[in-house]
Amino acid sequence: MRHSYKHIITAVCFIASTWVSMAQEQQPQPLMPGEKPKPTKYVAVEEEKQHLVFFQGFTLSGDVYGPVAYMVSDYGTMEGALRLNLKNTYFPIVEVGYGKCSKEDFNTKIKYKVNAPYARVGIDFNMLKDKFQSNRLYLGARYGFSAFKYDISVPSMTDPIWGGSGSFSMTDNKCTSHWLEAVFGVEVRIFKNFHMGWSVRYKRELTSTKNEFAKPNCIPGYGYTTNTTCWGATYNLIFDLNWGMKKSHKRGINIEIRDIPQQTDDKATEKEDSQKENENGTEATGNDETDSSDNGADNEDGDTDDGDEEGTEE
Amino acid sequence: MMAMALMVLTGCYSNNCPLENTVTCNFGCYDAEGNAISYGDTITITTLMPGYKTVYTYRKLGNMTVTKDEQDTALINQGYTETTSQQRKDTILINQKYGASNIKVPMSYFNEEDTLIFSYKMISLKDTIKIRHSSFPHVELPECGAHRFHTLLGVTATDAAFDHVEIGNPNVNYDGAINIKIYFNGVVETE
Repeated sequence: MRHSYKHIITAVCFIASTWVSMAQEQQPQPLMPGEKPKPTKYVAVEEEKQHLVFFQGFTLSGDVYGPVAYMVSDYGTMEGALRLNLKNTYFPIVEVGYGKCSKEDFNTKIKYKVNAPYARVGIDFNMLKDKFQSNRLYLGARYGFSAFKYDISVPSMTDPIWGGSGSFSMTDNKCTSHWLEAVFGVEVRIFKNFHMGWSVRYKRELTSTKNEFAKPNCIPGYGYTTNTTCWGATYNLIFDLNWGMKKSHKRGINIEIRDIPQQTDDKATEKEDSQKENENGTEATGNDETDSSDNGADNEDGDTDDGDEEGTEE
Repeated sequence: MMAMALMVLTGCYSNNCPLENTVTCNFGCYDAEGNAISYGDTITITTLMPGYKTVYTYRKLGNMTVTKDEQDTALINQGYTETTSQQRKDTILINQKYGASNIKVPMSYFNEEDTLIFSYKMISLKDTIKIRHSSFPHVELPECGAHRFHTLLGVTATDAAFDHVEIGNPNVNYDGAINIKIYFNGVVETE
């Protein structure tokens, strides 16, 4: 029953993140009547690449799935992670957490308890083609490690032939476990430097210290050892920390490449008109000319402002 | 994609509980030269239990002697004389197994020594094996329950039908390895 709670929570988190990501998709604003679309520039792809500096900052994240899982099941974690952002593509990561498991099997009445820290190191790879955008879809891998002590107690065992009975309990069994994880995850920008995202993990136990009395039933950071493999999940609150970065290097400027619409032709005709009027010697046309040049400057400023805003937001 | 994720997360549940989860001491049967054989006699294995029981023996001149675990007043009325004695309690572990090549026998959880008595159909003599062992609990997974594993420390035997016995694998668990090798008298004839 408790396992099913886990799955329900994961599904709810999944739906929530999907909803958030849909909300993030910005629709182009419709033009007001009489408003002309702003001119856009052709920018070479190479120019965009120049803006992707190697070091893009740190990312600090915390998992909210682990504590919720502990509230509704026998096993849960408290976990935080520090991640490097390299070219917005490669994300070397260190995850550190504390895992707790306390369970009693319904049928056998065997009790198992473990509380211990764990650590993982690995790397994520941003799979999105557009590396400039703040949302990320990533694949990754982790190596996990935990050194822990576990307690186990067995209720009374009765010898069916010779008779006699006795109970058994062991505390502080030392164990060291190593495992690997394959990670698939999504994260979306919610507000400025704040992101949210989820990940699912396929885990495989490599080795654990052998104990002739009892195998560890639950490994902090890994989960249950019922099978040699298991699934895990995280739901992360993520903060981009731009420590030690120049403001101009925070993010490349994302400039959309569109075909220049009719506006340039309109401008050309406007210029031709103003020239004609200028030739006619009217003062007002001269003002129009300066206005149009100002508008052009404004437009350019507007572009750079957008870029700056995006830069500072990141 | 969401449906796929849900399907993966709510997939089939299975566990790693061992299919063969009975802990037994496995005896392998060999001839005197170490060739694996199927023993050509019927074997019954009895073990001694802790504690004693009262055995009632009834005798009458010209009649078979009758032994019973409970008092029989009908035999006394028929003129039988009753004598009582205290004997170790016992129980049958293997009942009339024929053509055995290996025999699986449970071990005691809390005794340090198990005594097994081998009775045969063709031989009136019996063999006794004494096995010294230590026992400890083992939990594979909490949902699989607890089992009692054993470590063999020593084994001795009489030589009515046995040539000799030896420990094959001292670890008694549910792996199925041969723990004690019994070498019976005689050699298999090969042409």
